[in-house]
Amino acid sequence: MNVKQIEKKWQGLGAKVEAVAYAQTGYDYDVTLTPESLHGFAEVMLAEGFYLVDLMAVHVKPAIEVVYQFAHFGGQRCRVMGRTFVDAQGALPTISDVFQGANWHEREARDFHGVVFAGHPNLQPLILAEEDVDLKPLLKDEKVLKDVAAIRRQVPEAEAPAAEKAAKPEAAN
Amino acid sequence: MMNVDVLQDERHHRFVLNMGPQHPSTHGVLRVLLEMEGEYALELQPVLGYGHRCHEKIAEYKPAKNFMPNTARMDYLGALIYNHGYAMLLERACGIEVPRRAEYIRVIVDELNRIQSHLLWLGAYLLDLGAFTPIMYSFDDREEILDILEDITGSRLTYCYMRVGGVCKDIDDKFVSRTRAFIDRLRSRYSIYEELVNGNVILQKRLIDVGDYTPEICARYGVTGPLLRGTGVEYDLRKAESYSVYSEFDFEIPTEQRGDSWASYNVRYREIEQSLRIIEQALDKLPEGDFIAPKVPKKLKIPAGDYNSSVEAPRGELSYYLVSDGSDMPYRLKIRTPSYCNLSVLPEMCKGMMIADVVACMGALDLVIPEIDR
Repeated sequence: MNVKQIEKKWQGLGAKVEAVAYAQTGYDYDVTLTPESLHGFAEVMLAEGFYLVDLMAVHVKPAIEVVYQFAHFGGQRCRVMGRTFVDAQGALPTISDVFQGANWHEREARDFHGVVFAGHPNLQPLILAEEDVDLKPLLKDEKVLKDVAAIRRQVPEAEAPAAEKAAKPEAAN
Repeated sequence: MMNVDVLQDERHHRFVLNMGPQHPSTHGVLRVLLEMEGEYALELQPVLGYGHRCHEKIAEYKPAKNFMPNTARMDYLGALIYNHGYAMLLERACGIEVPRRAEYIRVIVDELNRIQSHLLWLGAYLLDLGAFTPIMYSFDDREEILDILEDITGSRLTYCYMRVGGVCKDIDDKFVSRTRAFIDRLRSRYSIYEELVNGNVILQKRLIDVGDYTPEICARYGVTGPLLRGTGVEYDLRKAESYSVYSEFDFEIPTEQRGDSWASYNVRYREIEQSLRIIEQALDKLPEGDFIAPKVPKKLKIPAGDYNSSVEAPRGELSYYLVSDGSDMPYRLKIRTPSYCNLSVLPEMCKGMMIADVVACMGALDLVIPEIDR
């Protein structure tokens, strides 16, 4: 596995790639995607031999963020978080045609957060009962809903000004 | 008189069979809808959620430290390993250093827990397949582990032994000597298991080439643990990400090449010995010192950001993903449980299989339903 090459492929999709400290966060790469580049990203990951660890939705302002976690079966540790916000309709393209394991994860995200995955073969309630289809229990109340900046890692004081500039285009997504 | 037309009409051979939620071979409240043609299952559809207890929602409403007992109630067979993963997550997020003795104790109890889980699986799986006796032997051995763990943790199933920064109670000489005695005892039992079970031709006929799968299927579905190692992929988080002090021990990752129920059966069986090896070395090298970090704040504020911790549970990869907004309560906690992904492969694995083989396949997945439903 050549990480540098894979990194280039991610960047070729228009993703913003950031290496993070494993000892501090528990993963190696943070990849910021757009709904359009998501499907291509999944295809790259499958071709490079990654497997889908998990898919999770986080309810923040301005939109729900969905995080895709990947890891690699090979000897070298490489844990990747791909993150994207849902589009204006609260939807994302499905990746269950690439990673079939995403099928259930996406149904779960639909149950708990109401994220619609376009093109999903069977977006029925999985964990919740059928009559609770609109319950969306993990959505936050207005009172406790945080802005996306509040859940981002704080950069140490010295590097703060430079990082602030870099963070701006990301917030506009 | 028998209606011959009915028997010859193909439509009458097709029916939907409802397995569970109280079926004994689903080991919990799992329901599987099977579309059958005669004895063959054409389509399978697992129906989940009967035991959903909103763990992820509960986590958002209490201080992160107080979620520890909940972790044990997800996978009741790997409770200590679930404890460990969660403690590791908070330690990583808050930058807390764990004393070496605590890490060693964690590894020892983790591995005892893993053996206990594999022994229960061994007995229950063979019971599913129609062999009644092995469960008597495996429960006999498992009982020893439960007694040892009860002595230090205070409980027998849903342990809450680990704390942020260490464990809640030190181990004593009695624990060490009993564990050593247990290692000898279990090793002396291998010959019984091998003669009674592993060499049995009927068992082999039931399992060999049943439920074929490949590393490629595992990657697409996220299958991990002994199932993955049954296809020849040497992937174990204890080595691949080498958390805690696992890098200090000499142990192997058992793999098999076949990629069927018999392969994963053998991987699990052989893992018992590797766990014993780890325990043995850890007991030999057990360092002196604190069993919990001395300065863990009572109110644990987690710096804003997202954190992940992954450990090797008995059934595969367990991941906790925490998003924090800087307070002492998690903003979002997502738990990736191994059985959830391992079960999702079942419809593809069992397509067109005879119903008795579906039971053999499901047993090979080693499902624990509460961790799927969470």
